[in-house]
Amino acid sequence: MKVFLMFLSISLVCVSLCLAQAAEETIAGKCMTCHKEKTLGLYMQWRNSEHAAHNVTCLECHQAGKRDTDAFMHEGALIATLVTPKDCGECHAEQTEEVENSYHATAGQILESNDAYLAHVAGGNPVAIAGCESCHGANVKIDKNSPNKLVIQCWPNSGIGRLNPDGSKGACNACHTRHSFSKTQARQPETCGKCHLGPDHPQKEVYEESKHGMAYFTHVDAMNLDADRWVVGQDYFEAPTCATCHMSETKSQKVNHDVGNRISWTLRPIVSDLKDNWQQKRENLKEVCSACHGRVFVDGHFYQLDGVVHLYNDKFARPSNEIMNIIKKNSSLESKAAFSNDIEWIFWELWHHEGRRARHGASMMGPDYTWWHGIYEVAQHFYFKFLPAARALNDQEANAYIDKLLADDPMHNWLNRPTADLKNDIRSGKMQAIYRDMFKTE
Amino acid sequence: MNRFVSFIEGISAHWISRLGVTLTTSSFIVFVFLEVLSLLGIFTNAYLGLITYIVFPTLFVIGLLLIPIGWWVMVRRSGKTSSELLSEKFSKDEVEGKTFCSRLFRIIGILTIANILFLTAASVRTLHFMDQPHFCGTACHKVMNPEWVTYQQSPHARVKCVECHVGEGLDALIDSKINGAYQIISLTFNLYETPIPTPVTNLRPARETCEKCHWPQKFLGNRLKTYVHYDFDETSTPRYNTLNMKIGTGEESHAKGSHWHVAERNRVNYLAADEKRFVMEWAEVRQEDGTLKRYSNQIVINQPQESSQSIRTMDCVDCHNRATHIYELPDLAIDDQISKGLMNRTLPYTKKESLGALIKSYSNKETGIQLIAVGLENFYRDNYPKAFQSSLSLDSVVTVLRDVYHRNIHPGMNIAWGSYPNHIGHRKGPGCFRCHNPYMVDDEGNAISDDCTLCHSLLAFESDDPFRYMSPIDTTDIDHCMQRYLLKEFLREY
Repeated sequence: MKVFLMFLSISLVCVSLCLAQAAEETIAGKCMTCHKEKTLGLYMQWRNSEHAAHNVTCLECHQAGKRDTDAFMHEGALIATLVTPKDCGECHAEQTEEVENSYHATAGQILESNDAYLAHVAGGNPVAIAGCESCHGANVKIDKNSPNKLVIQCWPNSGIGRLNPDGSKGACNACHTRHSFSKTQARQPETCGKCHLGPDHPQKEVYEESKHGMAYFTHVDAMNLDADRWVVGQDYFEAPTCATCHMSETKSQKVNHDVGNRISWTLRPIVSDLKDNWQQKRENLKEVCSACHGRVFVDGHFYQLDGVVHLYNDKFARPSNEIMNIIKKNSSLESKAAFSNDIEWIFWELWHHEGRRARHGASMMGPDYTWWHGIYEVAQHFYFKFLPAARALNDQEANAYIDKLLADDPMHNWLNRPTADLKNDIRSGKMQAIYRDMFKTE
Repeated sequence: MNRFVSFIEGISAHWISRLGVTLTTSSFIVFVFLEVLSLLGIFTNAYLGLITYIVFPTLFVIGLLLIPIGWWVMVRRSGKTSSELLSEKFSKDEVEGKTFCSRLFRIIGILTIANILFLTAASVRTLHFMDQPHFCGTACHKVMNPEWVTYQQSPHARVKCVECHVGEGLDALIDSKINGAYQIISLTFNLYETPIPTPVTNLRPARETCEKCHWPQKFLGNRLKTYVHYDFDETSTPRYNTLNMKIGTGEESHAKGSHWHVAERNRVNYLAADEKRFVMEWAEVRQEDGTLKRYSNQIVINQPQESSQSIRTMDCVDCHNRATHIYELPDLAIDDQISKGLMNRTLPYTKKESLGALIKSYSNKETGIQLIAVGLENFYRDNYPKAFQSSLSLDSVVTVLRDVYHRNIHPGMNIAWGSYPNHIGHRKGPGCFRCHNPYMVDDEGNAISDDCTLCHSLLAFESDDPFRYMSPIDTTDIDHCMQRYLLKEFLREY
């Protein structure tokens, strides 16, 4: 009897689940009926997607609960326009968790940062929305009068750190563009290039300049980009893309949607620092490299990278940062508001644009970005824009610091010496010796 | 006879009066002559009609007026009294007072009655003439020609223009004549717009005119329609769209469909934001039980515009705005011609090449009609010489295309493809979606539904089979969800 009851209840559950599934499918069928006419492209993207192939239809993602603040009735179904990582996580739990804990997911908190300040004061709200928030993610708010209940300033938005009304952070479609949600697309450098480019972080351009980029564009047809399994070295071998090094599967690592999991340096701030647990993260990346490169080759790359990062940190970043701290501490700046003085803009571009370009160039083997777009510009602006601007403020403490730096620091005192001497030092290796310790990272 | 001649001589004493007598007499004779000819069917030309029914009666009246004017001038000039002049010009016994009045006065009286009778008869004939579609369509040839051409091809070709455009009753008649007078002025001085705007504001109330033949109680249930589109591929592959149109009013036992808008118990009002009524500021439905629901356009509210429109109650022409003067769209016209069997698609790329020839911009209509043939012949001679030589179908294609071009393109009036959108459905203009869109929202934020199956079930949509969604469901097909829904929906609604 017990067995019979158990069997009965199990079959009841099964039947009701099947019925629910059928009902959901019927509603989805209604969605498709109209959207095939009104938004045929959207429908076709979905139709050719893996989702369609696995019978994941409209409501799996768009169905809303009564408590969802962005829920609205649409032709008889309670739905939400916004699909958040929470929704995707219903099926893709592991990936969602990785993203939620990644640096990407924090991109929406930009509103507290200097970039956002600058966009709002020097630019204005429209550019903060269409520019900054388009990559970083908007803080999505609710407007009861909007047809889809979303404030129009926040929608559309597919910024990677979007702050969603359900409390989740991020937008999976930042990389997996709807409604194809193609992994092929997410594997291509163009996907990352929506945001990672330009004067302040030209990762896309550095990649294109690098051997990796060249090889990729040459062999793009052999990249096997749409394969289900995409293990570097096994399923493709001509070149890595952004995804290869930072996220994708290797012989011993699974796909990881925490994009910082293989990055050892912070190359974003004024002074670069090693991240928590950087040794492990560097090992993770080296393991990707070793799919194609020998151990010595890989070690050599990181040796050279660390040299540039230390050079930038010690020769330019720390001193300029120190000078800015002194003049701010002494209230030597003419105008009160941040960015209302020329020197602040010079300093900003020094680290935020040129300094990053140098560091990113070195990290991804873009020689031109390392030197001409990078350290060359840092040096020129440091010596001939930043220091003169600092001296013009007549801050005694700052001037004393600058004098001491240029007189005593072997990296800077070349300014006061004859060219012939300096050339001799270069030839003899004495000049290079100044930088000898910069390659070590501990 | 003598007496009549002397009467005529008497009243023609002054040259102005003489001119009047001549005018009246000759226009009467010519009118009668032309009328006889037209009754015999010898003359049917609208321009001749204009002369017969407008010019001659007018001259007749002018002549009559000139007679007393001449007399009046003569009285003023001569310084004599009227009775002195009368005695001078007429014999004594005619002027002499009798039991009732003088003989002269009697003759004038009898002739006046005869004139009134004649004028009445002429007016009746004139009005009758002006009621003829032929008059409306060809009298103002250049301006009305496009409407005349489309009218003759339309389902209402046997309904007279005036039955819709004038309506019934004296006020309608007077209105139309005043309007017509303005049209003569605007035609004479070239004051009209090209293309002439759709008369959205000054049409007769549609329910008064249309419902003489089409009354809401007759809008029953459903209507099954298959629209075929042809691909641009070599064989012009047909794609079927089979719709089960829901056209009922939803009243009594009738199924609910698009004529719900004009059902007895519903009143749909709207305020348009633009003159052409393409964009709604709001639309509301008032039901018999007094409930009122208004949907406001969120876009228009956010960008307030100066609305010069007045509130209107929806009627037939809000959707059936092109029930008669139907202008087609080129691709749909070709589809229509092929699916009716008037044009065959045996030639390679029939649809694609036909459309290309049809939508090319030609300098004028005659050139267009000529070059449609030249373009197609060149294409087939160069690319498909065999098909070009062996097939007669090119001739049939050209004939059909010329016909389509002729009735839709009117460069003289600036009428090109799409100049007059058709609101029926949503393929040829904004149609239903003027109101049925997500921006038309009520107080609770609910939008007017723009669900496709609200107005029609779908049995095929761009499918290779006219009843695609009625076939057995194959769960490995990606579209199976949609098919399941459509099948259920159709069976429920039917």
